[in-house]
Amino acid sequence: MSEKKEIPKIQRVVAVLWPSFLTSGVAMILFYWIFSPGEVFPELVASGVSNMAFYSVTFLFLWLTTLTSCLLSYYFLRPCSRWND
Amino acid sequence: MSDNDNTPVKPEQDSLYAKREEIYPREVHGIFASWRIAMVFLTLGLYYILPWINWGEGRQALLFDLPNRKFNIFMMTLWPQDLIYLSVLLIIAALGLFLFTSVGGRLWCGFSCPQTVWTEVFMWMERKIEGSRPQRIKLAKSPWNLTKVIKKGGKHLVWIIFSLWTGFTFVGYFTPIRDLAAAIPSWDLGPWETFWIFFYAFATYGNAGWLREQVCIYMCPYARFQGVMFDDNTLIISYDEIRGNPRGARKRGKEKPAGKGDCIDCSLCVQACPTGIDIRDGLQYQCIACAACIDACDDVMDKMGYDPGLIRYTTHNEVVGKGRHIFRPRIIIYSVILTGLIIAMLWSLATRIPVSLDIMRDRNILYREAPNGDLENVFSLKILNQDKKAHNFVISLEGLPSAVLDPDQPEIHVNSGEIVNTLVRVRASEDAIKNRSTSISLRITATDDKKMTDEEDTRFIAPADWFQK
Repeated sequence: MSEKKEIPKIQRVVAVLWPSFLTSGVAMILFYWIFSPGEVFPELVASGVSNMAFYSVTFLFLWLTTLTSCLLSYYFLRPCSRWND
Repeated sequence: MSDNDNTPVKPEQDSLYAKREEIYPREVHGIFASWRIAMVFLTLGLYYILPWINWGEGRQALLFDLPNRKFNIFMMTLWPQDLIYLSVLLIIAALGLFLFTSVGGRLWCGFSCPQTVWTEVFMWMERKIEGSRPQRIKLAKSPWNLTKVIKKGGKHLVWIIFSLWTGFTFVGYFTPIRDLAAAIPSWDLGPWETFWIFFYAFATYGNAGWLREQVCIYMCPYARFQGVMFDDNTLIISYDEIRGNPRGARKRGKEKPAGKGDCIDCSLCVQACPTGIDIRDGLQYQCIACAACIDACDDVMDKMGYDPGLIRYTTHNEVVGKGRHIFRPRIIIYSVILTGLIIAMLWSLATRIPVSLDIMRDRNILYREAPNGDLENVFSLKILNQDKKAHNFVISLEGLPSAVLDPDQPEIHVNSGEIVNTLVRVRASEDAIKNRSTSISLRITATDDKKMTDEEDTRFIAPADWFQK
């Protein structure tokens, strides 16, 4: 790749949003493959929170986590020289 | 793809950070366009219709019933324990994709990828509302007036309605779609159903309406590694340079100008391309192999009275005169592995014993003393009956001689599709226990069918201080 080529903005956005979305989806499936919400949060299940809510909140929480990780990767990938020259 | 050779870098690639050039694909007609439309009807037809089909009384044929943790797949019901089948299915799909790709190039991308088929539908709506490519370009350049507002607004409205229907259908694969439909008029949907309908609708609208080819270029991992799946015998869409060059405009019906090739440089292949590339520059990672350029070019060749196929599906070897080889080692290896996996999976599904046992220990109390002085371990058993009828199960114990099950242990009745939790006490006398932790296994067997059986290993734990002397 030539040095001059800039990475388009859409690629930057996608590189943060998309891998985090995919990995959190996989992580959620693996997690709930092993545990059912009733095993992990028996009190909440007993109080009537639906499984759909567990899956959704878990997914969104995992996405937030992986998103943070992707954002940090993106942050650390920025050239160091810009700040340390 | 090839950054190290001497091909000149196109100016628009140098300024990628600039705003994306809007692409207005020209509508094409021809054999490949017909195939693509047929595939849109087939794939999206299946997508929108399948959740409405029932298999058995009131049982949705395809339902990934997350709340109840079971998947209906036509006559089968899979449980979380069967995730292995899903994994094997994904491996089969991936291998199938590799096989298809090495033979036929990115056929998946051009004809059956959801991104392509939904974009196709969105572009059709766009054409119906905003008109042909020149009309759309003119509309985009024109200042905002009532017509533009109506056309643009109308297009987005239609897109949004279609997206919402798509989102609704998507959620219908996870929540019974008839209940969902019944809840729509009174807007009685659960909060998360509502959220996912809008989420998926937004994704459809954004991906098929706005992002389009950028999804293929920036989000699709497949496009990035197409190079390793292609070889010189892979069918790709190629411009026949030998025949086409040097290019040049000319009048229809006149003799071909001396020294010119068949390409009249009309640029229709570029205008038809949904990803905005020029196929005459050779194989590019942006090419989704939709073959719109082939249709466009064949049409022109026909009008000029030239043979079709200046742009065509062909292999590198064929272009350089080495002929076509379909059966090559890579294809045979993929096919053998794929066939093996499919047979293994079908065999495993056919011989699957529809009962499963899970054992969990009580983590707080590892052991306790029974009234008669024996040592006792308590296990929590989860019995899942995936069979179509109810069964009574008896529990048996292996691995620790002289250990016994609680004699009061009754038979356990489990209805079809039900999970029953039960506690099991295992007792052993002190002198029978030789180790702090002994491997034992518990087995359940249906009283009416000895083949309905499953076994799981666990450990019998004794106090640590017994063995520290």
